[in-house]
Formats: sequence, structure tokens, C-alpha cells
Amino acid sequence: MCGISGVASFHPIHDRLYEGVHQLEYRGYDSCGVAFLENQHIEVRKDVGTVDEVDSRASLRNLAAHVGIAHTRWATHGKVTRENAHPHLSCDGRFAVVHNGIIANFRRLRERLEQAGHRFRSETDTEVIAHLVEEHFRLTGDVESAWVATLRDLEGSYALAMISTYDPERIYCARHESPLIIGLGSDANYVGSDFNAFIEYTKNTVILDDGEYGIVAKDSYAIKSVRTGEVIEKPVTVIPWDPELSRKGGYPHFMLKEIHEQPLAVRTALAMEDPAIGKVVEALDSARRVYVIGVGTTYYVALYGQYLFAELADLDVLPVSSDEFRYLDKSDANTLVLAISQSGETYDTFTSLRHAKDRGARTAAIVNVVGSSIARLVDHVILQGSGPEVCVVSTKAALVQMVLLTRLAIELGARRGLIDRSRRDELYSALHRLPGEIETLLNEQSGILRALAYRHAHMHNWLFLGRGIYYPVALEAALKMKEVTYLHVEGMAGGFLKHGTLSLVDEHLRTLIFVPPRTCGELYNLTVSSVEEVRARGGFVLGFAFEDTPELFDEAVMFRASHPLTAPLLPLVGAQLLAYFTATALKRNVDKPRSLAKSVTVA
Amino acid sequence: MKALVLTGGAGKTLVPFSATRPKSMTVVAGGSLLRRTLQHLREAGITDVTIVLGQNGSVVENAFGDGSSLGIHLSYVRQERPQGIADAILCARGKFMPGESFVLVYGDVVTSGNPFLQLLQSFNTFKSPIAGVCLPGPPTGRYGNVYLSGTRITKIVEKPQRPGLGNYVLSGFFILPTDLFSWLEECGKDMERVFERLTTGVGIHASIWEEGWIDVEFPWDVLAANRMVMDTWEEARISRDAKLDTNVTIVGPVRIEAGSVVRAGAVLAGPCYIGRDCYVGNNVLVRSYSSLGPGSIIGYGVELKNCVLFGGARIGRLSFVGDSVVGEQVDIGSGTMTVNETMDRSPIAVNIRGTMVESGLTKLGAFIGDRAKIGAGNTLAPGTVIEAGTIVPHHFTVPKPR
Repeated sequence: MCGISGVASFHPIHDRLYEGVHQLEYRGYDSCGVAFLENQHIEVRKDVGTVDEVDSRASLRNLAAHVGIAHTRWATHGKVTRENAHPHLSCDGRFAVVHNGIIANFRRLRERLEQAGHRFRSETDTEVIAHLVEEHFRLTGDVESAWVATLRDLEGSYALAMISTYDPERIYCARHESPLIIGLGSDANYVGSDFNAFIEYTKNTVILDDGEYGIVAKDSYAIKSVRTGEVIEKPVTVIPWDPELSRKGGYPHFMLKEIHEQPLAVRTALAMEDPAIGKVVEALDSARRVYVIGVGTTYYVALYGQYLFAELADLDVLPVSSDEFRYLDKSDANTLVLAISQSGETYDTFTSLRHAKDRGARTAAIVNVVGSSIARLVDHVILQGSGPEVCVVSTKAALVQMVLLTRLAIELGARRGLIDRSRRDELYSALHRLPGEIETLLNEQSGILRALAYRHAHMHNWLFLGRGIYYPVALEAALKMKEVTYLHVEGMAGGFLKHGTLSLVDEHLRTLIFVPPRTCGELYNLTVSSVEEVRARGGFVLGFAFEDTPELFDEAVMFRASHPLTAPLLPLVGAQLLAYFTATALKRNVDKPRSLAKSVTVA
Repeated sequence: MKALVLTGGAGKTLVPFSATRPKSMTVVAGGSLLRRTLQHLREAGITDVTIVLGQNGSVVENAFGDGSSLGIHLSYVRQERPQGIADAILCARGKFMPGESFVLVYGDVVTSGNPFLQLLQSFNTFKSPIAGVCLPGPPTGRYGNVYLSGTRITKIVEKPQRPGLGNYVLSGFFILPTDLFSWLEECGKDMERVFERLTTGVGIHASIWEEGWIDVEFPWDVLAANRMVMDTWEEARISRDAKLDTNVTIVGPVRIEAGSVVRAGAVLAGPCYIGRDCYVGNNVLVRSYSSLGPGSIIGYGVELKNCVLFGGARIGRLSFVGDSVVGEQVDIGSGTMTVNETMDRSPIAVNIRGTMVESGLTKLGAFIGDRAKIGAGNTLAPGTVIEAGTIVPHHFTVPKPR
């Protein structure tokens, strides 16, 4: 199998032939080459190797020509040598041909041509085609008639493309039992073995069928029957294809890709030996007042951190949403402001840091994008290294920020003598088990969560409840859900329920409760009492709980956690999947929800 | 790239249709599963397709011939005895050249969109073997569980140790190198061992399919697949060569093909499909998710609901056909009722080759095989299966005196 690409263009070909065969390399790649027309002359550049290797030796890029063809070869007839690589020229060098397939009668044709005086340079079946066209041209003096006469002589399977100095504006092509299609661009037309050859330039294609040949110029094309010579009208097929798709690498959406990248992102964050972590811990320890700021998802990350710092390090931090920060800011020289931002460009967070800095505060940040404004502004920056996050709805970045705050809290607790060596080891080994636990969840529970999402996607109102550190988890989960599904989802502390919200509970409301492991004692008991409050009023309760929980719910998803430190992050991943599948059930624009932008750089 | 489509599976549980046609020639939303697959392949630029035929393979050949009507080049190979997937793949060995990669398709699944575009894109990204994977509706444990790390498949477990796991499963679409043929031989024609070799050796990546996917196993799956496809229809499409009387009511995405006649008083509620050269009589009610294959003749006052007629059916006046699948050239006499509910509205079980299998559905009509004849005035119990070619006599409540 081989790959064919060709361009006829108003503008210089530049890199387009190179790109075309590069994209076709999956079809085979022991050698490759290009041929193009320049000053009434055909230049051929070809060699053994991959497209990139040949390019480095023979330069397949930056071509000034307007018409050219290219080929990537997977040898069938003849060894892998430079001579056998395509394109192949006729004796007079005025016809160049590339071919995919096998010419069954090439030996007979070759003998005939050799008797007529043609000299062959390669062992390939393809070369006979170039000589054959030359021979027919000698008789007819017309490229098209010579081309048709040649096609009538050929037996076997082929997809072909040819250029000639006698008709320097056009590419001649044909197919029989090997694929060939024509691409219609705005400033050029293309030929290719498949649309990978030109997908970056056009999605409009015409598919050639057996027994048809095509003539392709920069501004026009014609398809005719080899047998009758009649013009055949063919429909233009538009390829529903998005070049961006390739970056999704096997996933239908970036959101799912990024959810699945979380095990790797957490591993990276845990392996990181960042000196900034030590410096931030030092700053947290010495500050008299600590603000943790963020907005949207990162505000909930900050809230999550509040529980961790209180429990593990006996540190009282103030989480503040950065859009409100300026009204509350009491910073001074003994204050640390720790900001959290995926992009590092969030306007509210950036101006809050500025505000605090002006008042003499020290600043630190957890940021994903290297060299961003916030990363450059603060005294200490922890780069989370989670890789690009494309989906507007943040998943892996937020989860890694939570993991990094956990690391900070453990280190601070150790520094303050609240966590001894063995406890620290225990907590770290829990963190190190987290990526594996997430991977198991993604593998074994995706289908359960998808089925759940499809069953309940028709519900317009949702309440997400949690207590303790499961409260920020409920808030973040609710935000994910509303961002991507456009449904009304409220996150709330479990204890709030009977202070007002309980009046909303009826059969039109679904309640999702984040239940901690049973080993959490009082926290577990109080959470369970919320389940009963809702069910007693006829509300439908979905439980996100752990495997030790009895059946308290109308429906439940049971997670498996190995340690209370990391347990809250598992139902959070579950909630990301619930939001994702609900959005696909409702056919939402998952990666770019309406009205939302990835990085909010305005007030 | 070329494609290999397997249609040889016996499909024994798809009663009564598997007796007369391969599973892939089951019809949903006006076209066979195989037609949809071939159209999707063509849309993805794949026009050289080899089909492995098994029992009743001539049905496929008669329907598609050399493929020119679909704009593709079709060739066929025959699997003489049903000996599994590995054997079917090996039958086609001669059709592929060493060093190629090709698309491998299991012919009996239905998707709501075109899975091949994404599959090719994944192949392009990873330049490695690709397996399509998806999450089937409620987890069933029927298909073997895939384990992923990123998109790399780390293992495929045919028989999971714990029940109720919600893993991704193989969706029946692959891009594989022609080395597969020799691997299959080296592994004793054991697909499982080939997959093991792929996951631990060369590596295989998953292409995750998030749209609808149904593996048609039981007759009621035909109705689910029909519904899934029709749910993607957004607008009505009525051929300029269809003939509609005045006072025909059309609501929603209704498709009517050329040569069909719809008489006054008919109500067509979309999504529904009226194939070529159908006759829809006066006052017929075609409710949503009904698919009428070509040449169907529907008599006066018939009600159709959530049903698939493969084609050439004649349904006599004042009948009701609902939640049912009707094969080709079936004759249903007037006043026939497919009762589609039990008295206590309990889920309906269906006799699949001697075993009662729960459909999980509370509304289910009848499954009537190709060329069966049902006399007038019959009432068919929920979940009835009528084998192909069966003749059910007229049902009279007042017999003629002897």
C-alpha cells in the first residue's frame, strides 16, 4: 500500500506536498518523493526513508512550483532503493508518475517498451506507465489521449497521478481498485489516496470510481469515463471533519480526554520536587493572616484547602472569591495571599493579587500555564504541570490543585510538628494510591455513571449536598454539572437543608448526596441524616457513597477508597463523569458551553 | 484504506429473522444494518470493501451486488461453516496486501452516527492498531471489559470477575495491520489471545465512541436501534415523486420516499419512515418510530406504532401493529391486533429457541418472520414469535354452520 498526494495551486505549493504525504505515512513509508514542474522542466526529489528523513536530505518543503505530485511507498515490486522510489520519469523526463497498486501485465508492457527503445531505471511496475504515456504521446501529440490510451493498456489495480511538461497546469489521475479522491480547495485543487492528504486545506471532495480518470487544474477539474470519454457529473462530498479532532486523540471530547488524563496529572504533581512548595509552606507558617483566593472552580478549590489546612496543619485560612477580594482585603506585611488559577491570566485573581501586593502582602500561586501573568507577578509560584486543558470546564487542573493543596497541608503539618514521620508516610502513600484508584474508577464505573446520567438527564433541578470537606466537593461538582448541562444545580452544605432549602424538595428535584466513608463517624452520621430528611419529603436521593455504606438511597454509586485523605476526590471524579454524560445525553456543546470562556481576562 | 465487514455470525437469538437472513440484513429506520455500515464507510472515504458471508449470504449479494449502487467496490468471500470470528477474518486473507492496515467491522452493530471518521482520526493520531470502544446502555457484562490507561488498552477481560462493572467494551470497529492474519494463525484462531498479544506487545489504542451504539442480539433490539437512528432525524423529507392526497397530516420528521401514495385522512407522526412505492390507505395512523420498508401496503384505518416493517408487507384494514417487527413479504389479514401489554403491565418475556428471555420491556408486540401469513381477525399475544413462512388461519368467532 502506498500514499499519493498532488496539488495544483494558484500560489506556490510551499509545504503542501510534504504535509500531504506526511499525513499518508500510515499507508506505508519505506521511501518517498515529490515531482513538480518548474521552468518547463520536471524536478524529482526522492529517496529511501520516512518523509521527515527524506525531507532532511532532499528538501521536500518550501517548493515554489504551482503543480506537483508526491508519493510515500510501501514496496511491492522491487527493493527499497532510491531508484525504485516514486515518482518515476519517462525517458525524456517530460512525464512523471506516482502509483499505488499493482500493474499485473507490467512485464509484457516493459518488454514491448524496451524493444521500442525505452530504457528503464527501476525495477518497479510503475515505471512502465511513464514510458507508456511517452510512447502514446509520440503517436497522438495530446496528453489526454495518451493518458487514456495508457489506462486502456493497464491491467491490475492502480491509483495514479501524473504531471507533464506538455500540459504544465494539470494533474492527470485515474483509479482502478485502489482509492483516489480529488479535493476542491479555495485556491487549489488536490488529489490524494484519501482525505488525509489535504484535510487541512479543504473538506470538499469528489470520489473517483473504477474506470474513471480525472484532470485536475488549480481552478477546475473534470472526471471522464476511460471507456467512452464522456464527462461524468459527480456529487461533491463534504467531509464532516475537524482537524482539531486529531488533538483529541481517540476521545470524542476534550472534557473526557482531560478526565482520563487525571491519573497521569496527579502522578506528575506528586512526583514534582518543586522548591517552591517548601517556600510556600514556610510563608504559610510565618504569616499571621492567610487568604486563599480563586474564582469559580478555583474558589471551590480554595474552600477545599481550608478544610485541609485546618485539619492537618491547624492553620486557619480565609478562602475568598477573587471577585470579592478587594472589598475584604486587610492585607499587610504579615499576610500571605495564595492564589489558584489554571490559566494564570484570570483578571479578578490577578487584580486581587496586585491589590494585596500594594498593601505589602506576600504572594504565592498555584498555576498551570508557565509564564502567565500571575506566575510572573507572585513571589512564589507552584507550577502544577498538568498539561494543556482545552475544555472550558476545568477537570484535571482543579483536581491537581486540590492534590497540591493536600501536599502543602501535609508539609505544613509536618513542619509544625503535628504530623510525625510515620503519619506523613501514611498520608503520602494514600496520595500515591490515588492515581490508581481514579484509573480503576474510570475503567469500572464509567458505564454505571453513564447509565445513571441517561436515566436522570430529563430532570431540570438538582441539589448537591455534602458536609465537611465533602461540602466544597458538592459545590465543585454542582458547578461542573451546571456549566456543561445548562441545568439548575445547586451545591449546598448538608446542614443548610433544614434552614430553608428543604421546602424545594418534591418529585421534580433530584438530590445527590456525597456521603463520606462510614469510618468518618460523626460526619457520616450527620450526612446520612440529610438523606433521611430528603427522602421523608418524597425526594429522590442519589448517593455517591463508599462501599461500606448500607442501602440508604433510591439509587447509589459506590466508590472504593483506601484512605479518608483522598476519599473525597473519588466521588468528585464520579461527578465529573456524571456531568459529562448528562451533557452528552442532552447533546450539549461539551467543550465550549454557551456563554463561557476558558480564561476570563475581563472584570 | 480497505475494509473487511463480517456478516457470517449465525445470530441464533434474533428469532425469527435469523432463519432467513444474516443479522446484518435486519432493517432499522428504512435500511439494513449493513447498508448503514457501507454508507458510513463510503462517507469516510473507504470504498474498497470485502464482506465475509455466512449462512443466507446470498441475501447480501442480492441486495448490494458489486456495490456500485452505493458508490463503493464490493467483493465477497464465503465462510463455509460458522467457525467464529477468527476463522471469518482468515477467509479474507487473500484480499489484503502485506503491510496494509485495514478497517475491521462486526456487521451486526448499529450506531447513531458515523464511527469510522473518528476511528480513522485515532489511527492517524497514534499510528498504531485501534479498537473502537463504547459504553453500552446499562452494563450487561455481555461484551467483555476493556481496561484503559489514557487511551492505551491495557487489557481486555472477556469474563469479568465481579458482576456489574461499567467498563468500556469493544464496539466492533477496528483498524488493524494485515499481520493480524498471521497472528490469528499463531494464536490458534483465538481472538482473545490476539488481543492479549496486541495489548502487551505492539500496543493498541482505544477510540472512544460516545454516541448511540446497539448490538442487535434479540428481536426487541431492532426496535431500540430503529428508535436510536430515528432520534437523529431533525427534519421532514418528502420526495417530490411521492403522492399525497389533501388532508394528510404530517407532524415532525417524517420521511417519504419516491413512488409512495398516502391517502386522505392519514396521520403521520414523526419520526417515521415510508419507503419507496408504499401505499398508506385512508385514515391510517402512523405513529412515531414506525418504519415502513419499500412496497408496504397499509389498508384503511390501520394503526402502526413503534414498529419496523422490512418491506413488501400487506396489512389489512383496521389492524394494529405496535412495538413489533415484521419481516419481508408478510401478509397480515384485516382486523389483526398485536397486543402489546400484559394485563398487569409486567415486563414481557419472549421465547427465544425454547428459553423464555426477559426483554425488560412492558410494551412489546409480535415478531413475525419473512413471508408469514396471518389470517384476518387474529390477536397475537405480547412477545409472540411467528417463524418465517408460517401460515396462521383466519380467526372466526362465529363459524359458518356445517
